[in-house]
Amino acid sequence: MSSWVLPACESLHFIGMAMLVGIVGVFDLRLLGMAKRLPVAPLQRLMPWALFGFVLTLGSGLVFITANPRQYLAPLSLSFVAKMFFILLGCLNVFFFYATGLKRMVDGVDAGQDAPVAAKVSAGLSLLLWVGVMYWGRLLQFFGKSF
Amino acid sequence: MMGWLQSVENSPWSIWLKESPSIWGYPTLLFFHTLGIAFSAGPSVAVDLRILGVARRLPLAPLDAFFKVIWMAVALNAASGAVLFASDATAKLANPAYLVKMTCVLIAVAVTVMIRRRVFRDAAEGVASVDAASRYLALASMILWFGAITAGRLMAYF
Repeated sequence: MSSWVLPACESLHFIGMAMLVGIVGVFDLRLLGMAKRLPVAPLQRLMPWALFGFVLTLGSGLVFITANPRQYLAPLSLSFVAKMFFILLGCLNVFFFYATGLKRMVDGVDAGQDAPVAAKVSAGLSLLLWVGVMYWGRLLQFFGKSF
Repeated sequence: MMGWLQSVENSPWSIWLKESPSIWGYPTLLFFHTLGIAFSAGPSVAVDLRILGVARRLPLAPLDAFFKVIWMAVALNAASGAVLFASDATAKLANPAYLVKMTCVLIAVAVTVMIRRRVFRDAAEGVASVDAASRYLALASMILWFGAITAGRLMAYF
């Protein structure tokens, strides 16, 4: 693999992470009660950019794994498994937010209003899970033979 | 100066940080630094996108509340960064990627202050305004944060 690809992917991975966690974080913090003068519905318009960030991390992540499969998969490190698990849970959390109709409920939360408790739980989980992904990602180089 | 930096680098805690297999040393420090990146660059990018016209129906003034998060994250990174730097100062100062990164970070912080003053000066009254200069600042902010992240990642290759 050409020598600039991995460094470029590392940068894209972190940029994508910042976009994903930062934009979803803003949304979650609003649901949890910060910046209450924001109506929630328009905040959703920022989500495509968070998704773009996620796609960047996913794509660059796949490059890492396919370029060095044995580093990540044989042996499987605790850090790698935990990170993938937290990503899965994070995505499931998003899925349930949409599938249960919570997203539609939350669209109606206007400036000054509190989000419903279910939304706060989802938002809190979201923050914990994505921060968890970052935590396990950072630990990859210290567990097993990932690096 | 170099002598002092070297003595900090070789101090007992610094050596512990670099050589201890403990998770609570270097890995934890790096995690805090990454957390700071996400919550400084991330919300900044969200605000910048709004200034540039994404999600136009989102009221701009209330976004002012997120600068608290941004500043806390910057502080976290200044603190974790200071420790990381101190443990390896002479090498870092010789690393061009590190110098580029610090330049980007410092200018990004300055631009963030400028955006706060220019766009959010009257945010407490619910007023925020965007002009052409603010849009350039928002664009610059995004480029600088992404530049800092990129330079930071490239440090390992120099």
